[in-house]
Amino acid sequence: MRLSARLGLGLASVLLCAAIVGGWHLATRFGLVSRAFLPSPERTWLALWRGLTEGDLRRQVLATVERMLLGWVLASLVGIVLGSLIGSSRRARAWIGPSLEFLRPLPASALIPIGIAFFGLSQSMVLAVICFGTLWPMLLATIQGFAALDPQLRDVGRMLGFGRLDTVWKFALPNALPDILAGMRLGLTVALILSVVGEMLAGQQGLGLSILLAARAFRSPDLFAGVILLGAIGYATNLVLAQVELRVLRWRS
Amino acid sequence: MSAAVIPLQKAGGKPEPLIAFRRVDLDLGGRPILRGIDLEIARGEFVCVVGPSGCGKTTLLRLLGGLLAPTGGEVSYAGGPVAGPSANVAIVFQDYGKALLPWRNVAGNVSLALEAAGVPRGEREARIAPLLRKVGLDAHAERFPGQLSGGMQQRVQIARCLAQEPTLLLMDEPFGALDAMTRQALQDEVLRIVQASRMTVLFVTHDLEEAIYLGDRVIALRPHPGRVAATFEVDLARPREQLATREAPQFLRLRRALYDFIESAER
Amino acid sequence: MKGLVLPILLVALAEGAARTFGIASDSLAAPSDIAAALAEALADGRLLLWSAQTVASALAGLAIGGGLGLVLGLLVGLSPATGRVLHLPIEFLRPIPSVALLPVALLGFGFGYRLEIAIVAFACFWPVLIIGSAAISGVERRLLEVGRVLRFGPLARIRKIVLPAALPRLFVAFRLAAGVSLIVAVTVEIALNPLGLGYAMMYAQETLRPALMFAVLVWVGLVGWAINALLLTAQRRLFGPAALVNAGP
Repeated sequence: MRLSARLGLGLASVLLCAAIVGGWHLATRFGLVSRAFLPSPERTWLALWRGLTEGDLRRQVLATVERMLLGWVLASLVGIVLGSLIGSSRRARAWIGPSLEFLRPLPASALIPIGIAFFGLSQSMVLAVICFGTLWPMLLATIQGFAALDPQLRDVGRMLGFGRLDTVWKFALPNALPDILAGMRLGLTVALILSVVGEMLAGQQGLGLSILLAARAFRSPDLFAGVILLGAIGYATNLVLAQVELRVLRWRS
Repeated sequence: MSAAVIPLQKAGGKPEPLIAFRRVDLDLGGRPILRGIDLEIARGEFVCVVGPSGCGKTTLLRLLGGLLAPTGGEVSYAGGPVAGPSANVAIVFQDYGKALLPWRNVAGNVSLALEAAGVPRGEREARIAPLLRKVGLDAHAERFPGQLSGGMQQRVQIARCLAQEPTLLLMDEPFGALDAMTRQALQDEVLRIVQASRMTVLFVTHDLEEAIYLGDRVIALRPHPGRVAATFEVDLARPREQLATREAPQFLRLRRALYDFIESAER
Repeated sequence: MKGLVLPILLVALAEGAARTFGIASDSLAAPSDIAAALAEALADGRLLLWSAQTVASALAGLAIGGGLGLVLGLLVGLSPATGRVLHLPIEFLRPIPSVALLPVALLGFGFGYRLEIAIVAFACFWPVLIIGSAAISGVERRLLEVGRVLRFGPLARIRKIVLPAALPRLFVAFRLAAGVSLIVAVTVEIALNPLGLGYAMMYAQETLRPALMFAVLVWVGLVGWAINALLLTAQRRLFGPAALVNAGP
């Protein structure tokens, strides 16, 4: 496609965004949708701005992000280490793999009632659920990446006389890296979802709770501001990970 | 220097072979793959192995590399049995696309062999550069295998094997997947490198002309199960040359003999 | 076979521990009690009712979200220009976690099926749009030219050439979306919607009946596994290896 055409379409994309916001404005202006349900873009923007500068929205964002990242990092560490151990042993894969595969389609949120049963409606319950729910995609991806090491590369390692640890470090782990990164990306999405649901249920400070309270009190501008921020968190974290992937997996291009 | 380290002469006066297969059998999953292989390869010899598919050419090479252990008989290297992979033996695998680390660039892939040999980090670069020059990749050190052509990828694998400074180089149909021009160029390069380093080479191929062109000796295997069927001495002068050598009467005669033989073996 | 050893061992261990130490409490239950609760809930039909509620919401959401995703995916897949124009709105909307819309849907619909279906539809829309548009733009150009040569109209071209050619990968898109639909439906029920299997688990937990809670959890696992296995088998039967290429986003 020619550059000018591409620029034109990019501009059209921006205009479309503007048109959507414009339509939103008109819809609320002329009362096509109840304002209790859909606030005008101006009031949403105001709520967002005020919340971030004067109110406690910034604190809510930080609470949610902190919770999400903490659970995600813990789950990533455990998932990669455990996945490496299981994945690098053919025997471990044969014995444990099927059980893990069976648990794969289980919704991570189904862990929440169990978490509540054990930890009550507490901060640690939310963190435990995030950790445990995020662990699965990481673990399965790491195992898959380790198992996918080509037998030919295994032979190369054997011919060069590498020991078990060197084989994992120089062959299996880098080979699993694309899968691990994909698992980490999926895990981050799961972590954000579980953070939001966990906050809603356990009444823990964060964006999840704040949008639920805003909805209960019919403060729709605050509600939409929170939703926008959650989208921004998802967007930003994904963008960062995509950049990391691009860097680390440079060899794949 | 002591001459006793490498016993060049046995009591009988015949030179001690570097490699000896004695009545070697191999079964895989209950199926006989190789039966009664008797074979000796002298130091510095370039031996090619040919045969129809299913004759166990690659298996023979994997036995020598220590990647497989024989079911019966003995494979010995420099007087002792082959117990496992050794730093003195390098394999150039057939499937170059899968034998390189895709996440390491050319220099990094060559470095792998130096890391295995415990060469300190600081010395590696100085040793990689001449190796890359030797295989004509000095301009591509920073590129990743995925960005290289098949012939270049195979050069990387050869450089990695040379980094091992092996006594014995095993090559498993290394040029089978390359186009004719690239194949010929690489054949000559391998001959030049082997000549300069005095390595012993076992070269597996399904290309009869390639076997004659490269080898001092061509061993033909018969399939189901794999056995040594015949040995052809190649009395062509070295250095060899793509056009002149291939037109030499001995070359044509050997080619004829091998073709006839393989055809009868396949029937 | 080996795969069965670990779960059986774990269950036996849990049962043994429950028998000897009497660990049964407000949060734990012996496997035998869980099995009994599962059997009871199955026998009196409660479990099937909850399953029906969850699966119905999931399916309705999948149909709406997946259908919309497919239509937009067709547009984007057939016309790269449309894809570029829609790029920014898609980029901004997609990262919104589906559960963030829970309170919004709650305001709009109140508790009940509509709330759940809306959230599931939002979640299912994206995988179908992304994988579907890739599948359609991946249809061999030659085939489209064949359609033009045969003088098919645009609709006939889509119906007779584009959709059949992209079908294996479209199936993959819907299979993945089906998994998402069940997960999201259960999540919505656990978070706030008093319906289905998710709510049943929460209710069992709140009324301190851990055996029933674990029984429903096991059931959710079984349902998820069964749907996944069924669709995978169907995919293999219908399309063979054709659907395995580029299955993931």
